[in-house]
Amino acid sequence: MTPGGMARLVAADLRRHWRHFAMAAVGIVLGVAALAFFLALGLQVRRVLLEQVFPADRLEVAPRSADLDLLAIRLPLGRDALEADDLGRLAEIEGVLAVRPRMRLTVPALAVGGAAVFGAGLQSEVVADGIDPELLSGELGGAFREVSESFVERPCSRDGECGPDAYCAVSAGICRPYLPAVVSPQVVELYNGALRRAYRLPKLNPDAIAGLSFELIIGASSFAPSSTDPLRERVRLVGVSEWAIPLGLSLPLGEVRRANRRLDSPAAGERFHSAILEIASKDALPGVVAAVEASGLEVSDRGAGRAALLTAVITAALALVGVVLVAVSSAHIMHVLWLVVLVRRRELGVLRAVGARRRDIRALLVLEAAVVGAVAGLLGVVAALAAGAAADAFAGARFPDLPFKPDSFFAFEPALLAAVVALAVGACALGALAPARRAAAGDPADALAGR
Amino acid sequence: MTGVRKRYPGSGVEVLRGIDLEVAAGEFASVVGRSGSGKTTLLNLIGGLDTSFEGELEVGGGSLRGLPDAELAAYRNRKVGLVFQDSQLLDHLSCADNVALAAHFDRGGRGDRARLRRRADEVLEAVGLGGAAGRRASTLSGGERQRVALARALFLEPELLLCDEPTGNLDAETGAAVVDLIAGLHAAGRLTVVAATHDDAIAAAGSRVLELRDGVLHEAAREGR
Repeated sequence: MTPGGMARLVAADLRRHWRHFAMAAVGIVLGVAALAFFLALGLQVRRVLLEQVFPADRLEVAPRSADLDLLAIRLPLGRDALEADDLGRLAEIEGVLAVRPRMRLTVPALAVGGAAVFGAGLQSEVVADGIDPELLSGELGGAFREVSESFVERPCSRDGECGPDAYCAVSAGICRPYLPAVVSPQVVELYNGALRRAYRLPKLNPDAIAGLSFELIIGASSFAPSSTDPLRERVRLVGVSEWAIPLGLSLPLGEVRRANRRLDSPAAGERFHSAILEIASKDALPGVVAAVEASGLEVSDRGAGRAALLTAVITAALALVGVVLVAVSSAHIMHVLWLVVLVRRRELGVLRAVGARRRDIRALLVLEAAVVGAVAGLLGVVAALAAGAAADAFAGARFPDLPFKPDSFFAFEPALLAAVVALAVGACALGALAPARRAAAGDPADALAGR
Repeated sequence: MTGVRKRYPGSGVEVLRGIDLEVAAGEFASVVGRSGSGKTTLLNLIGGLDTSFEGELEVGGGSLRGLPDAELAAYRNRKVGLVFQDSQLLDHLSCADNVALAAHFDRGGRGDRARLRRRADEVLEAVGLGGAAGRRASTLSGGERQRVALARALFLEPELLLCDEPTGNLDAETGAAVVDLIAGLHAAGRLTVVAATHDDAIAAAGSRVLELRDGVLHEAAREGR
């Protein structure tokens, strides 16, 4: 059959049987509208959850805990550190781009200083850990880096002689590098929200915290026996990061490793308390979480795990909606086409009498159904866009400004809209197959005689 | 046709009981017989509209038995023109579109749309309906419908024209005009015509008259006009 002839016959048939096809299209329009609406909603929920609430391109993994509670004491029975083998296994998981180990400082530390900001020198116990500087290279550039190994010490008598990134350790008479450090937003919030009020201290601007420096005495403590030879370093804050230890100070991994080896034991410099996995994409998250748990470790950030599970459930539920749509649309168009084929039996017989092959008849009917599917799909998309706009307007007027509230609750991606239209076309074409086969079966003489 | 037999599924009656028939190229053969005698069945077999039969059936030297669907469709499209008793026009199409219907399935291709339209006008003119190309088929009278059906059958210049009771639904005057038209077309070219009819005028127009009786074909007359 010639393409032009096919197009003319399809157009003429659709005009002639528009009532039948309109009847079939109503169900498809509603189905496609519902599917596009909920998929766009799910996509946006997923985006907000995984990009804003639980950033899911990184995942923190820790040894699985198995503690035993004895009254007020909790005995740790499970492993409390990751070994090099664990890191190797994590790196082999599909979807994992990089493994960034973290190491806790295993000796006490005291922070001393802050007179320039607080008006008087302060002293506080500090919990610290070391993180891979590469983890923060995206947000802090090169400010957070390993400094000790590459630094060349030289004699000095005052700070100005050592350059912008070093200070003069006056007691030793040599230049030493500032140790870069980051704190988490929670530290700043805790200080600004509670500590500063209790101690009548000034409020800190998180955006201007970089540059604040103080002395860190590693191996010293107000509560426990101090090392006989503590490390005295000067720390400079270089920024605030979600990946910093929640209530403490995060230093470059190599600096903490050196301190642990020197002040604790060589083994303490090889044991990591957790690792951060950089994930290839959000889609890989559920698989990575499952592989981590299967390897005997656990995802310490349960929010990300729950987000992954939630998005998987949402995706599965919406896929089910899609399957139902396909089934309903197929059944609907099949029913209508059965009627149309019955009505047009003689007409299709005439087409065969003048030279149509069986496949021409099948193609004609399937194409008609596909056109109905395309039109209905487009109408469904328009309906979904309108419903989404109405829902956004309602939410904008009625919902308070909640955290993470997006500008729109729907992500009507062009690819998504194209996919639902394609689904409608496919469903209708699928539904047309059986009636089309029935219409093309038998001899033209039977069709012309109405047999 | 050699020893052609036909029985409809579920029916105990054998409609055609060993038909032997040879129609020469350019001949005009009329098949007469009572209603239900098997005339339409005979034309359906020759036209490739019905493929379930026993015996041998050849048209233009080629057997129709066991022909694949695509080849049989091409045979109906290019070799045969069919005119049915009730015209079988598609009422939602114009006369021109009805007439050019076969061109949509002509795998050889007969030119662009403008050329098809010119050909449609030409054949409509030939059957006396010049200027009716744009009219919808549903607006035509019985005689006009049969003329359009005839134009449709002739559109791709078939070698064989099969007419099944072409005047069956027409009044005497209109029927006579259609008979004259078919006879004229036959006389003008090398068109082979097989017409099933009750109409004495058509029977008289043919060079042969065959009578189908009890499923068997009898030579009724050999001299026509």
